[in-house]
Amino acid sequence: MSVLRPMDKLPDLNAATILLVGTEDSLLQKLAESMLQDHCASELRVHLANSLPLPSTVNRPRIDLIVFVINLHSKYSLRNVEECLSHVDSSFFLGKVCFLATGAGQENHCSIHQNTVIKLAHTYRSPLLFCDLEVESFRAIVAQRLVRMLQICAGHVPGISAVNLLSLLRRSDSPPSKEL
Amino acid sequence: MASAMEQPGEKPVAGAEECGEVRGESQAAEESIEDRIRLLLRLRAQTKQQLLEYKSMIDASEEKTPEQIMQEKQIEVKIEDLENEIEDVKSNFEMKTLALNRMRLSAALTKNMEKMGAESSVLTDDMKHILKLQNLIMKSQEESSELEQKLLDVRKKRLQLKQTSRSKLLEIQTEKSKQKKDLDNMENSEVIKTMQKKLQMEIKITTVIQHVFQGLILGSKTNWAEDSALREIVLQLEKDLTTI
Repeated sequence: MSVLRPMDKLPDLNAATILLVGTEDSLLQKLAESMLQDHCASELRVHLANSLPLPSTVNRPRIDLIVFVINLHSKYSLRNVEECLSHVDSSFFLGKVCFLATGAGQENHCSIHQNTVIKLAHTYRSPLLFCDLEVESFRAIVAQRLVRMLQICAGHVPGISAVNLLSLLRRSDSPPSKEL
Repeated sequence: MASAMEQPGEKPVAGAEECGEVRGESQAAEESIEDRIRLLLRLRAQTKQQLLEYKSMIDASEEKTPEQIMQEKQIEVKIEDLENEIEDVKSNFEMKTLALNRMRLSAALTKNMEKMGAESSVLTDDMKHILKLQNLIMKSQEESSELEQKLLDVRKKRLQLKQTSRSKLLEIQTEKSKQKKDLDNMENSEVIKTMQKKLQMEIKITTVIQHVFQGLILGSKTNWAEDSALREIVLQLEKDLTTI
């Protein structure tokens, strides 16, 4: 399939699937391991991908949450993510997409300005998380957050839906228009 | 390239049966039943939530999307309006549930009070404290509204005074400008010009008469310096009339 759609498959019982898209394999691997270590009542499945479209030969379950990992140190990761965004159906952006920017800690290595990523997240109306995936403790925290988000997006938490979470995570300030 | 990893979820049934050697048989069976029931209830809640999501997607897709191509700015504005609508609906819902909970609480409280009577001193103390505080609140609200009213009156008066002073200054300004205009007019008027011409004429005539008299007296070859009256007349005739 060339375009990912959120609801074209039925969900598996008690199972939630997350798709991590990014160019840095080691970071994705580490994040996936931290997420699987978290104790959670539902069954977690983590899929890793470098780019979309995903090969249609694999039989995969319904994807509940897509996380685009952008490394602020390399412009290639940003361009990769921007290309992947066209392969995602627009109904995914109602709360089932999240952007994760890593590497904001080391200012002298950053080649992408934070405002670029903030603007991208604002255009797609999706939440943006900043995290340094190299540091163990930050990675564990963000993994926990992602697990909670995944549970909500998969419908395992009664009373909150993905759209509800999206409006809760909405930032009240608009992104600064000045770009360096 | 994609790769998948799986984590085996909690298997409460298997776990309980494995450590069954420590507890008694019936207890273990009971716990496994409880865990099973918990799992089933959780699955039920999950399927309910997922069904709700699918239903809302169907409802949303039945709504017709506008066909016209809007500019990006317009789309952004529309999106923000819709997001604000969502927030309004959510806050309304929250307020209604809050009011409902309050009503439920007060109903339960009244029922409790009726039941317990004189024994519940803590509750009655709290209620009395609440009443005192609410009375204080109402009084201070009244005072603050009075003060606000006074402030409003003072502001109105100030505005009025400002307006009257403004009008007075305007009057003064118009009067001054009128005076200045009149003065200018007077200087340029025709009457003054004719009067000035006449004046010049008269001065010339008088000067000529002066010179004639001077000539008469000098021509008569009398010594006018000796006689004081004659001297006075000659000196007076010398006066330049244009300087008067």
